[in-house]
Amino acid sequence: MKKIISLLLVLVMVVSVFAGCGSQTAPETTAAPTEAPATEAPVAETEAPTEAAPELSGTMKVVATSESYITLFDKFTAETGVKVELLSMSSGEVLSKLRAEGGTPSADLWFGGGIDAFMGAKEDGLLEQVNFEASEELDPTYKDAENYWFSKGLTIVGFLVNNTLASELELDIPASWADLLNEQYGGEIIMSNPAISGTNYGVVNCLLQTMGEEEGWKYFEALNENIAYYGRRGSDPMNKVIADEYAIGITYLDGTIDALLEQYDVTIVYPTDGIPYIPEGVAVFKGAENVDAAKYFVEWLYSNDENLALLAEIDKKPSVKVIKPTMEGIDLAYDTSILVDVDVALFGSQRSAILEQFEILMGDKAVEE
Amino acid sequence: MKSNLNRIEKGASGDALFRIFGNAADKLIIAVLLGSICLFVLYPIICIFWQSFVGETGLTLGAYTDVLKGYRTSLWNSLFTGVLTAFFCTVLSVAAALVISSSRGWVKLLLMGVILITMVSPPFVSSLAYIQLYGRRGWITYRLLNISWDPYNCWGVIWMQSISFVPLNALFLSGILTKIDAASIQAARDLGAGPKHILLDVVLPLMRPGILVTLLLTFVRSIADFGTPTIIGGRFNTLASDIYMQLVGYSNPAKAAAMNVILLVPTLLAFWAYRVMLQKSDKLTSGKGKQDTVNLKLLRCGIVGWIALILSMLFFVMMVLQYVCIFSLGFMKVTKGSYSFSLQYLQQLLKYDTATIWRSVIYALIVSFVGTFFSMLFAYYTERRNVPGRRFFDFLVMMPYMIPGTCFGIGYILAFNKEPMKLTGTALIVMACMLFKQLPTTTKLCSAALTQVPRTLEWSARDLGGGRMAVLRDVILPSMRPAFLSCFAHNFSSSMTTAGAIIFLINPGKKLLVFQLFDKVYLGEYPMASLLATLIIVIVLAVEGLVWLISWKEGKRRVS
Repeated sequence: MKKIISLLLVLVMVVSVFAGCGSQTAPETTAAPTEAPATEAPVAETEAPTEAAPELSGTMKVVATSESYITLFDKFTAETGVKVELLSMSSGEVLSKLRAEGGTPSADLWFGGGIDAFMGAKEDGLLEQVNFEASEELDPTYKDAENYWFSKGLTIVGFLVNNTLASELELDIPASWADLLNEQYGGEIIMSNPAISGTNYGVVNCLLQTMGEEEGWKYFEALNENIAYYGRRGSDPMNKVIADEYAIGITYLDGTIDALLEQYDVTIVYPTDGIPYIPEGVAVFKGAENVDAAKYFVEWLYSNDENLALLAEIDKKPSVKVIKPTMEGIDLAYDTSILVDVDVALFGSQRSAILEQFEILMGDKAVEE
Repeated sequence: MKSNLNRIEKGASGDALFRIFGNAADKLIIAVLLGSICLFVLYPIICIFWQSFVGETGLTLGAYTDVLKGYRTSLWNSLFTGVLTAFFCTVLSVAAALVISSSRGWVKLLLMGVILITMVSPPFVSSLAYIQLYGRRGWITYRLLNISWDPYNCWGVIWMQSISFVPLNALFLSGILTKIDAASIQAARDLGAGPKHILLDVVLPLMRPGILVTLLLTFVRSIADFGTPTIIGGRFNTLASDIYMQLVGYSNPAKAAAMNVILLVPTLLAFWAYRVMLQKSDKLTSGKGKQDTVNLKLLRCGIVGWIALILSMLFFVMMVLQYVCIFSLGFMKVTKGSYSFSLQYLQQLLKYDTATIWRSVIYALIVSFVGTFFSMLFAYYTERRNVPGRRFFDFLVMMPYMIPGTCFGIGYILAFNKEPMKLTGTALIVMACMLFKQLPTTTKLCSAALTQVPRTLEWSARDLGGGRMAVLRDVILPSMRPAFLSCFAHNFSSSMTTAGAIIFLINPGKKLLVFQLFDKVYLGEYPMASLLATLIIVIVLAVEGLVWLISWKEGKRRVS
């Protein structure tokens, strides 16, 4: 018994250490939102006295693809006084939740995620129209014609190759999509299920568009032979490659992937026969509690290049420049001509048909007689 | 107990008001119990059923034909995995239970410690540790043993499920072992039976009903588990992982609901069998025997004893490795293939939103207290009182156990998204979902504890003039204190670690630790996921230890 008690005491002490550390940081985190508007609100007023919407109040609830956007939303809070609560959720989850909620969404703003989900949500009547002046400066390719959704950047896709495994298995570094069909890569390529990963859905849709339906499906049939398995999480391809589990991952490419080069022995490949991409959406939920704040956020984001620059810095990629070509102070590291030439509108309209066929191709679903 | 009865006597004369209102309160409690079960279990499940029939053009069976035609392989895989997992897991559990209950001293303490720690199993992280240890480039399989094998298949899932379901089962089975009448072992020994025959002819047959229950419960748990096949299944799909994909990828709640209803068929069959078995099991082990250690030397039990020892050692070693792996991953940094110690992630953790930690603990505490009292009352009213439709309600309470968590959560959104019952976005819906998801286990624990309270005690309290409330307050609740502890522990650790059911219910501003963990796993930030898992384990053990300590002191004071 004494042993158990002493063990428990140790545990309690460990926890109180955790709690102690916690309470040290607690005031900082809780104080930030309340202090910030008080000190910075006047600045916002002097900066943009005409734009600041005085009736904005309360809390804006955001579902985003990552929590790293908090600095962007902190800036919004500082300038408008609207508190922001952020939750990280994949776009498939958001869409399922929205559909189940039946028109009473529990969040106000949807920030990031494959554009196909946004197009689907618009079809279902789940999004709110946001009209604002600066929307005319945005490239019409990457926004909804009726302003129901906008893009915050482009996810571009390539390969991540594990050099150690490649040399052990005597694999050449693949340079193109066509190369991936080579027999030597059998069972060494990993991609995510396109139903769950906007990035990999982008690959499928883009290649089907550039190769043509028939050739495109033949390509994926052949690629299927080399794919080890289709990850059920968007981050699987990147993670499995850096964990030395698989040699080649089909993954998004951005500054975070570049940063991997320092820590891991990997090669980043921009496919020579076309780089697929998919826009990442921004939209306001229809019928949400704080629609006004969310609408103003969209306007706030796109109207001020400073905000867009901050977004680009968080995202570690300059693709907002493609979305708003008039934007100053940011350079696109690549020429847009390296991207595949596709019709973005088809991302949404073809989604269910493509996913259904892909489900059968993967062997997850039997063909219906 | 004597003092309690004295109190009832006094209550009979002095506290007449309590008696009068007691009967009304009694009715009120029944109404609240059954009403909330209808509202929070039956209604969401009806909503799921309803959803599965709703097509684009009105009511249809389309989702069912689609699932039955297209996903037959997954259904088959679910059953296959369920059966094999149930088998392997039960073998391991029996071995572990035998070793635990026949060991003494510090060995027993150590083994129980491992079981208690591994009972707190944060979701997904075990699977990540499994890949780290036994993956294609796993520390053990590749670096140590230099074998290259592929763990991303059905065997990986079966193995992983088998070992991760053992702790609860082993605890349950060793509980049964301690209830075996020591006299029957003594009698066999007197009649000249060696240890081998005592094990084979006395102990194992007496465990048989418990073993059957373990088999069935593991089967059900396995086919409802989506996390393991999602992370290590590779190309292997089960119906539970398909349900998850339908919800998270294809955003098709109707199809997910239909899959769920289909998955319920084998589950219900297993449960029907379980009920039959459980009744038998109670009869066999309701012996008066109560011992801490079963007097059996496994080493002298021949081959079976050796197999039990080896299997359980295998299990314990794997568990220790797995948890050491989880704990250490958070402090490791990989740089070009070499590992180094790093506090980088811990510093990140300490900068964490502490509000989330406190919120998780507070939610879990509320769920644990309310849930435990709920289960005790429910067990009392269904076991001891002739509540109308008690078998039906007993069945309803078991339902959340049979439904994959993600779907139960979607049911809650479907059920509570409109006025006047709009609960989506509130803390209440999250806590209710946790509470009712855990009710199956806790009510069973309480029912089991109740069988130890003789009915005569209740009757004598009534004879002495105690009202129904007095019986509840002074006889039933005090005598269920041991059950209170195990229920509380189960509730608390489940509340801190259940992810599936609440993924869809969590809202911005109301994050929980387990959701953060899920998110980190999803984003692939494994070191942070490991640290969060460690934090959850430490919190759960600390809180449970504290509650145990308080109640132990309380118990000691009462005795003296």
